[in-house]
Amino acid sequence: MTVTDLRSYNPLVKVLGPIPAMVVAIGSRDPVTPALFAALALALLLAGGRLPARTLGLVVAGTTALVGVMTVSFGAWTDPALVDHTHALVRLGPLTLWSGALENGLATGLRVAAVVLLALVSGLTTDGADLVRAMITQLRLPYRVGYAGLAAMRFVPRFGQELETIRSAHRVRRVAGGRGPVAAVGRQLGYAIPLLAGGMRHADRVSLSMEARGFGAHPTRTERRHVPFRLRDVVLLTALVASALLLPLVSGGPR
Amino acid sequence: MKKMTTRFLMACAAIGAATGVLLIPTNFAAFSVSASVPLAYAPMVGLWIIGPVVALAVLRRPGSAVLTTFIAGVISIPTPAGPSAVVTCLMVGTAIELGFLVTRYRVWAPWLFHLTAAVFTVLYALSAYAAFDISTMPAWAQVVFFALMLGSQAAFTALGLVVARRLEATGVARGIAPRRTVPEA
Repeated sequence: MTVTDLRSYNPLVKVLGPIPAMVVAIGSRDPVTPALFAALALALLLAGGRLPARTLGLVVAGTTALVGVMTVSFGAWTDPALVDHTHALVRLGPLTLWSGALENGLATGLRVAAVVLLALVSGLTTDGADLVRAMITQLRLPYRVGYAGLAAMRFVPRFGQELETIRSAHRVRRVAGGRGPVAAVGRQLGYAIPLLAGGMRHADRVSLSMEARGFGAHPTRTERRHVPFRLRDVVLLTALVASALLLPLVSGGPR
Repeated sequence: MKKMTTRFLMACAAIGAATGVLLIPTNFAAFSVSASVPLAYAPMVGLWIIGPVVALAVLRRPGSAVLTTFIAGVISIPTPAGPSAVVTCLMVGTAIELGFLVTRYRVWAPWLFHLTAAVFTVLYALSAYAAFDISTMPAWAQVVFFALMLGSQAAFTALGLVVARRLEATGVARGIAPRRTVPEA
């Protein structure tokens, strides 16, 4: 695990560190500030993400497409009265696309792209279970609450099997028959209640077996897998918070 | 902490896992929809509210909304939102929980669910205002945006209460939720 691998960093730093930057990016109005944050997040992912080429390609293509689509769509949604002093680019019958509106849309697109990329810094390099373990170790989250989160991850595949069973049972008894979209929505809602009830009954059994094995008997608990908080985490956290303060200055301050 | 039995924690885990499963496709849809048609994003807001509403209405214990949304966030990590989904979800859960905290967990009437959810939605709409630069949209679009968000919140809160009532009827919350001595209004 070298220093350049984002996976070796503490999940909490990767999740909470970019939040000041996200807030500043959302609050900015010019296109340059969010673009700088997006570039920073992309640089982090490129340098330390160790991502497979396919994922990296999807991320770059996805965010580029996002910015492109948002530039046009939010540009079209912009109130013409605000931008009709700029020059018109396209006229389609009653609709006119103003260059000011496009600029507006570009800024919005870049803002959202910056937030998505900053979230992906942790999203693509963090395991959910590790995040929970870090919360228990560093944030002093009561371990019983953390383990509820870990147990919930095991519930998800169970929901899939349960849904199959319920669906078959409903079909055999011809519950909520009929065709068409309305009947389909009704059917889905009909699955929700037995699914949730089944999940809660399963949760009851899980809690019994956990307590039978002594879960929660002691105030603390030792972990087999440790998630450390090292010097590199302090450095990354400082860098991320500093970027939130400094990048707006580089781009000419929040307008 | 002492009052949180393992059974209560696991019940929250079950509701949270179901909410998380619901939020995974929602997160993907929200990202693509908010990019192209910002107005269509507004009606999706209610999906984040339904989980904590069901948990609070069924379990009727302090902390059920916060716990459920924490778990829903952990489950919905593999989405474009990533682990920051935990932060988003916790924000929703805390907001819904607050209304019940200030009434000291004594009022469980539907109006309190609707009121808390509405207050949260208004605050959230204001933050979305900044993120999507709604203020540059024409006035009618701004009004529709707000109306759609509030409408979706009201619809999903009502749906959550219906789900909660039906779940209660199955008896799964027996022994977790405090026994009700006073008939409901």
